[in-house]
Amino acid sequence: MLQAERLTKTVVSGERTLTILHELSLSVAAGESVAILGKSGAGKSTLLGLLAGLDTPSDGELTLFGQPLSRLDEDGRAGLRAGRVGFVFQNFQLLPSLSALENVLLPMELSPRAGEEQAAKSWLAKVGLEERIEHLPKQLSGGEQQRVAIARAFVTDPELVFADEPTGNLDPDTGAQIIDLLFTLNQEAGTTLILVTHDHALARRCDRCLQLAQGRLLPFVPDASEGGGQ
Amino acid sequence: MSDMPWRLAARSLKRDLRSADVRALFVALILAVAASTMIAFFLDRLERGLERQAGQMLGGDLVLEQRSPFSPELRATLEEAGFALSDQVDLVSMISLGERFQPASLKAVDDIYPHYGVSRVDLGNGVEQIASGPPAGQAWADPRLAQLIDIELGDRVQVGQTELTISGIIEREADQSAGFGNFNPRLMLNTADLEATGLVQEGSRVEFELLAAGPPQALDQVQGLLTELRQAGVEVRDVRVDRPQLGNALQRADSYLGLAGLAAVLLAGVAVAMSARRYVERHLDTAALLRCFGASQQQLVALFSLQLIGLALIASLIGALLGLAGQAILLRLLVSFLPMTLPPPGIMPLWLGVLTALAVLVGFAGPTLLRIKQVSALKVLRRELDPLPPAAWLVVAVAAVVFGGLLWLYSGSLPLAVGLLLGGAVMLAVLWGISALLLNGILKGVKRLTGTGEWSQALRLGGRQLARRREAGVGQLLAFSVTFFAMAMIVLVRGDLLSTWQAQLPDDTPNYFAINIQPGERDAFEQAVAPRVDTQSTLYPMVRGRITAINGQVPQDAVPEDARGDGSLRRELNLTWQAELPEGNQVVAGEWFAEAHEAPEPQGWLSEVDATPQEALVPISMEEGLANRLGLTLDDTLTFSVGGDELTTRITSLRSLNWDSFKPNFFVIFPPGVLESFGHSYITAFHLPDAEQSLIRQLVSDFPGVSLLNVDAILGQVRDVLAQVTRAIELVLLLVLLAGVSVLYAALTASQPVRAHESGLLRVFGAGTRMISRVQGAEYALLGFASGLMGAVLAEIATAALYIYWLELTPRLHLMLWIALPLGGALLIGIIGHALSRSLRRQAPAASLGLLGET
Repeated sequence: MLQAERLTKTVVSGERTLTILHELSLSVAAGESVAILGKSGAGKSTLLGLLAGLDTPSDGELTLFGQPLSRLDEDGRAGLRAGRVGFVFQNFQLLPSLSALENVLLPMELSPRAGEEQAAKSWLAKVGLEERIEHLPKQLSGGEQQRVAIARAFVTDPELVFADEPTGNLDPDTGAQIIDLLFTLNQEAGTTLILVTHDHALARRCDRCLQLAQGRLLPFVPDASEGGGQ
Repeated sequence: MSDMPWRLAARSLKRDLRSADVRALFVALILAVAASTMIAFFLDRLERGLERQAGQMLGGDLVLEQRSPFSPELRATLEEAGFALSDQVDLVSMISLGERFQPASLKAVDDIYPHYGVSRVDLGNGVEQIASGPPAGQAWADPRLAQLIDIELGDRVQVGQTELTISGIIEREADQSAGFGNFNPRLMLNTADLEATGLVQEGSRVEFELLAAGPPQALDQVQGLLTELRQAGVEVRDVRVDRPQLGNALQRADSYLGLAGLAAVLLAGVAVAMSARRYVERHLDTAALLRCFGASQQQLVALFSLQLIGLALIASLIGALLGLAGQAILLRLLVSFLPMTLPPPGIMPLWLGVLTALAVLVGFAGPTLLRIKQVSALKVLRRELDPLPPAAWLVVAVAAVVFGGLLWLYSGSLPLAVGLLLGGAVMLAVLWGISALLLNGILKGVKRLTGTGEWSQALRLGGRQLARRREAGVGQLLAFSVTFFAMAMIVLVRGDLLSTWQAQLPDDTPNYFAINIQPGERDAFEQAVAPRVDTQSTLYPMVRGRITAINGQVPQDAVPEDARGDGSLRRELNLTWQAELPEGNQVVAGEWFAEAHEAPEPQGWLSEVDATPQEALVPISMEEGLANRLGLTLDDTLTFSVGGDELTTRITSLRSLNWDSFKPNFFVIFPPGVLESFGHSYITAFHLPDAEQSLIRQLVSDFPGVSLLNVDAILGQVRDVLAQVTRAIELVLLLVLLAGVSVLYAALTASQPVRAHESGLLRVFGAGTRMISRVQGAEYALLGFASGLMGAVLAEIATAALYIYWLELTPRLHLMLWIALPLGGALLIGIIGHALSRSLRRQAPAASLGLLGET
């Protein structure tokens, strides 16, 4: 499904060159769920961006759906994502002028298929929002907005879902509900999930946990100081 | 996937119509199209209408005049080209009724007369409108003739060797133009009776006229023939060249409407540019998300272009419909002076409207829209990754090029378009600098505010907010200044145009001309008239003279080929002498007579022209237009035949004068001391109030030789036209003002999120609604004040330039502008801005901060 070989990402800041990711390798199999843990500023989002092909590595090779991304340009990488990759973001990324239903329909509009509105509605029902499909994001609570975002991530029947701190903007209770929902849907659909978070409890629910520190990816070793808190 | 953009674009467009920026964009485009199509439709039809009206005044679209009958070959050629022909013969002859004799100007018309319009004739049952001339055996007399020899309907008058029955009193001829070349009263008869009068003979002074009416294509077709005819000495009058006297006022109105249309388009463009910015900012997220979901750059470009083109097309359709309705209203306003049947509006202006909408969109929003293409999918993870806004110079440059193209398209003049554009660019650069200075000034000014009152605090905070957002502040200041400038200019020009027209035809504009006042009657006439009239022009002496040589050559050989048939060479001119430059005349070249001219010894100019040294020639002042037509300039010599003598003169000055003034005007003015010895009479014009109409009867009986011409009807017509054109101009003005308000709306909508953020912060820091409301009000008012000030500077400079180079008015300083624009600006922007941000003030700070996406 996804192979990363010696991924390196450096950015030039003023006269200094910062290495954010250093020769990082990772392999994710179909149907697997992988959590990437890391402190704030560890480069989690940068890694997610690279894995999803939103950004290009400074060095190394990434293969997604069997296609080496380095051989694809920006549009090629976008084409690879279309309909096959879903996203759940920390700040939901719903378009404020679109209703819940329209937001869910958005990714389908790139690859139209029959019965898409039906599919969108049924996904909204699955996340418990069948009554609110015409509501605008600002009329929804944070948890409800993230539910819309989850429905949007799954509506195209993607093979791979990326989740970036999906509970980062939610209170613990709502966060827990969202996590339950995300994992339930993921299991039902048999989707591969790559989840970036700093929440250990959330990470533990994945098949595999990895920790990002100093630009390298290590197997996660829970220690006593890191309980189940947020 | 190929059909994605269509569907998505259609859906997005539908959704987008909910948001303020798209609505602003939409309204701005509609206004641009409505303004341009309305004016284009209107001018197109007006142009054709005017030609028709000119045709009516001339008596046809093409009028030929010569001393002999026209050949059958010429008639055949004209008929082949698509003209309907009508014959007319003019001559002066003595007519008599019993013992009373009177020279009259005879006009013989055929059964086709008149091509256009109707005559107003009293056939005994009151004045009627009649679209024909008198039948054979009958004649119509004008009221003056009737009065002079006491004609009653049914009388038989002697005309040459025949007698004709007077069957009507003709008040107004269908093809009467406001010329006073012929001072004799009119008798209109049928050409069928002409032979019987025996007046048309070899050597008699008869003018044969061939009046042709036909479509514009027919005129185009015979242009070559007309040139030949002119060169052969035939006087040719063509509707396109010989416009009626209303031309001057309408020409300016035409220019004004064009200018107003452009101002509306420019304003709409500014509004489009401002809304596009907000639109793009709002859609960067959408674009990034779509990118994330797998959309290619091409798809994004297609999506947003389709959406905007769709918007532009709908807007052009609505705009064009509004434009059509608008021109119908304009025409309604002008209906009484336009001919009844105007050609229907053509399809051209419609295309022009669509083209305008697309051009405005591409030009004013294009560079900004390209930003969407550059958005990175990574923006969904890292908000700060917004693509850079396009360089301001690029936005301005593209907009300038497109607007220049529209200017060229509308004005049809490339130099004018380039000139305006370059001027505009320089002005914009200067303005950019001034805006930055002004913002600095505001910052310094508000820092000095030390008061602790709520208002000075609000001003201080508002001023700082304004000055802090330098980039956006300068942009808004510029946009508002240009808006105020365009609005002010259109208002100013309207005001000056109208007051010029009013000044041109004040209430006491002469409504009577008195001609043929003999030198012996002069004082008595003046005494009789002076106490009872409102105004009276100078009594001008008048001598008739014919040009017999130009620079020593036969006139026809000395003038440009197409001027050989010019009326001034074929007829006697009215010459006068004056020591002072007549009122309303301006010397445009050379100098007015220094002193009363020393009459040279008779032998000096009575003969031997060639031997006469230049200085000894009689100096004359010639009207600029005639000089241009005849290809004459300063120091050219003209020989006049006056009363059988030859007078050789030299042009020492050229004058411009206002032919629309309803005052006696002269092509040629002599200095005093030259013409006095020739037989002369006097001419004057005066305004007789309605209550004093009895004076006319008294004048007719006391001064039977004096001809009185009532020009009330013509004057009334001119006034009507001006009043109607004024209303048309006001309608267009309203459109420009609307476009201006759309700019304000678009700009204020565009800046709302930033302001929301600021007021959210203020609230977080503990400011109450009242405080925030005042800070915002103060900021808007300061912005409005500064923009108004800059707008005033711009408007003053631009109107001065326009007056000098385009509208031919005298520039002047508009003091009120300097007060009204800054204060009005502060008030207008203050109120609109304050009202628009009302909902923002009600929001909780988290929500307003969230508007910027800061979660």
